Amino acid sequence: MNIAEIQAYGYFILTFLLVLVLYGYIYHLYTKKRDADGVDYESYSNMALKDDIDDAPVSALSEEKEK
Amino acid sequence: MFHWLEKHPFFFAVGVFIAIAFAGLIEILPNFAQASRPVIGTAPYSTLELAGRHVYIKNSCNACHSQLVRPFKSETDRYGHYSLSGEYAYDRPFLWGSKRTGPDLMRVGNYRTTDWHENHMKDPHSVVPGSIMPAYKWLFTNKADIDTVYAEQLTVAQHFSVPYNQDVPMRDGSVKNVKMAQSLSEAHEIALEEAKAVAVDMKDQDVKDAVSRGEIPEIVALIAYMNSLK
Amino acid sequence: MENRPLEYDYTIAKMFMLTTIVLGIVGMLIGVILAFQLAFPGLNLILGDNLAEYTNFSRLRPLHTDAVIFGFTLSGVFATWYYVGQRVLKVSMAESKLLMTIGKLHFWLYLAVVAAAVFSLFAGVTTSKEYAEFEWPIDIGVVVVWVLFGMSMFGLIGIRREKSLYISVWYYIATFLGIAMLYLFNNMEIPTMFATSPAGETGIGAWYHSVSMYAGTNDALVQWWYGHNAVAFGFTVPIVAMIYYFLPKESGQAIYSYKLSLLSFWGLMFVYLWAGGHHLLYSTVPDWMQTMGSIFSIILILPSWGSAINMLLTMKGEWQQVAASPLIKFMILASTFYMFSTLEGPIQAIKSVNAIAHFTDWIVGHVHDGVLGWVGFMIMAALYHMAPRVFKREIYSKAIMTAQFWIQTLGVVLYFTSMWIAGITQGMMWRAHDEFGNLAYSFIDTVTVLHPYYAIRGVGGLLYLVGFLMFAYNIYKTMSSRPVEERELQSASPMGA
Repeated sequence: MNIAEIQAYGYFILTFLLVLVLYGYIYHLYTKKRDADGVDYESYSNMALKDDIDDAPVSALSEEKEK
Repeated sequence: MFHWLEKHPFFFAVGVFIAIAFAGLIEILPNFAQASRPVIGTAPYSTLELAGRHVYIKNSCNACHSQLVRPFKSETDRYGHYSLSGEYAYDRPFLWGSKRTGPDLMRVGNYRTTDWHENHMKDPHSVVPGSIMPAYKWLFTNKADIDTVYAEQLTVAQHFSVPYNQDVPMRDGSVKNVKMAQSLSEAHEIALEEAKAVAVDMKDQDVKDAVSRGEIPEIVALIAYMNSLK
Repeated sequence: MENRPLEYDYTIAKMFMLTTIVLGIVGMLIGVILAFQLAFPGLNLILGDNLAEYTNFSRLRPLHTDAVIFGFTLSGVFATWYYVGQRVLKVSMAESKLLMTIGKLHFWLYLAVVAAAVFSLFAGVTTSKEYAEFEWPIDIGVVVVWVLFGMSMFGLIGIRREKSLYISVWYYIATFLGIAMLYLFNNMEIPTMFATSPAGETGIGAWYHSVSMYAGTNDALVQWWYGHNAVAFGFTVPIVAMIYYFLPKESGQAIYSYKLSLLSFWGLMFVYLWAGGHHLLYSTVPDWMQTMGSIFSIILILPSWGSAINMLLTMKGEWQQVAASPLIKFMILASTFYMFSTLEGPIQAIKSVNAIAHFTDWIVGHVHDGVLGWVGFMIMAALYHMAPRVFKREIYSKAIMTAQFWIQTLGVVLYFTSMWIAGITQGMMWRAHDEFGNLAYSFIDTVTVLHPYYAIRGVGGLLYLVGFLMFAYNIYKTMSSRPVEERELQSASPMGA
């Protein structure tokens, strides 16, 4: 197998995998509609709309921000 | 997996990087060895030709002139044989350009002479009525920087095995040996020898005088480079 | 600091806003000069015979492209990052002295690199590779500036209060990574000063000179992989970041579909990098790569339009805002031009179209409807939105803004229409044969015929520059106009008469 063949196979396999992953992602987004924290994806738009320093975060990193 | 990525900036960044680096890995890397082999008839640039190339780059000639003949009848009719990958083996950097405001120069040495270039650089209108190219009069007074050229020759000979002082095959079966100097002063001598050969065909007395004084105006180097493009 | 409530700190955003405007004027002014030099070559001597070397088209051309890309656009990207970043992560720069120091260092070093770049390009010190013209000492400066940008970006992300990253932040991260990778690989070069001659001499010649690590076709391949994707990660990705923040914020409308924005992000990331090959169609790079470049360029329509349609639909039911607010007009026109140029690009990447379009002014036209219409409009809109908030003043004049919008729109339309005609005319003339199979036109015939289009293009560019000067004046006056109330502004920006 020469380098050109490896290239072709590598290209095909990786592209195929990435296409699968992308479609998996689409399926996940539109069936679950929420992420693991139970936050609706659409509510993340509020990160831009409610972005004053004392607005409540959409999902806070932690209550006390100890770090 | 995805929402996890979205909340872990570091791994998110890694993911993005993989997605964007993928194309480069597959597309570019594997062809490196293949494309850089010189074709027969391609020799390294001589000292003065390389100096001319530096002048070409310094003045961004590549902003308006391409050096890439595409394989169409209209292009081969106008400019000569279409370009082959190996012809560029010693081009660092490549000078294909991206815009033909002026004509392609890949094989300009086949159909333009020293005399033509001299007049053209001084006053493009005198040889091409209607030309929108500006005159490059400062090339007749600025001096070519042979030191830097020599340093570049040494660098490419050492790091990229460019065959200076070696026989390279030509298309007619003969061999060509492009000389690279052993010392800086010899580099100046070699360049000056080449410059004299060009200046013989030139008309500008100031340039001729400069060359006979041992100086090399940029125009002489540039013309040597133009003549070498075949 | 006593017990003052925590506020966002826009010090560095303000600094970069200033360079956005100044370098924008410089870059566009040079562009207008170049445009008129092509129409009226006498202008190459605009400062007389003695300075002809420095005012000549070829010397100025890299200055124009680099001033607009690395000056205007990058400053705009930095300015908006130092504004948007804090807000969507809900953390203030004032909370970390370290980040503040890095930010300031980032700005001043950036300015130093810009100064060095301008100086070196005027002097003709260039590697000749488009948008990567800088020699190695400046490249090192660019890398340091970029690392500082990354530190301040990831530093801010590190101390954020919001757990998730807003879509704009994704795009900013991609900008950082993309440019870092591309710039490093395309600028691999060996300084020639380290060479030793057989006679033992070292340090020969200009210390700043270098030679590319790649030769010929490989160099071209790497260069256009870079050149195309510098457009991706300089002119597309960060500008999408801006519109995803500023359009929803200014209109008060949530993004039409946040999910779609996530999808288009990954689509864009994967597809964009493959498309670079379309700059090398019919060249000496391997055929399959050219085809790949063509195909992926067409696929690229999908993620690009995903973002653009998402933006337009965000205005669903709120279209009266487009009529009422010049600021919204700017952003809607920007996303329309984004759709337009991401359709035009793939068309040009089709091999048979490219055979005509390549090397002609149509390509120049394509770049400019993207850059003037999309990038320029979006950055100006972003700065207009930021100005009332960072200066706590209302925008000085809505009337100037509206006038500017129409003047610049006319400018862009004149620009790209004239370049279309010029490009296709020249492309067709180059390939025309007469009845005997000889070339129908000499090269100069195909140049002189372009004169009227070059003149129209110059006028278009000039109108755009005039509009930009109005923008600069408006922002300048905003800094000294009536203050608005101290409370944070919600959505629509306040505007004076």
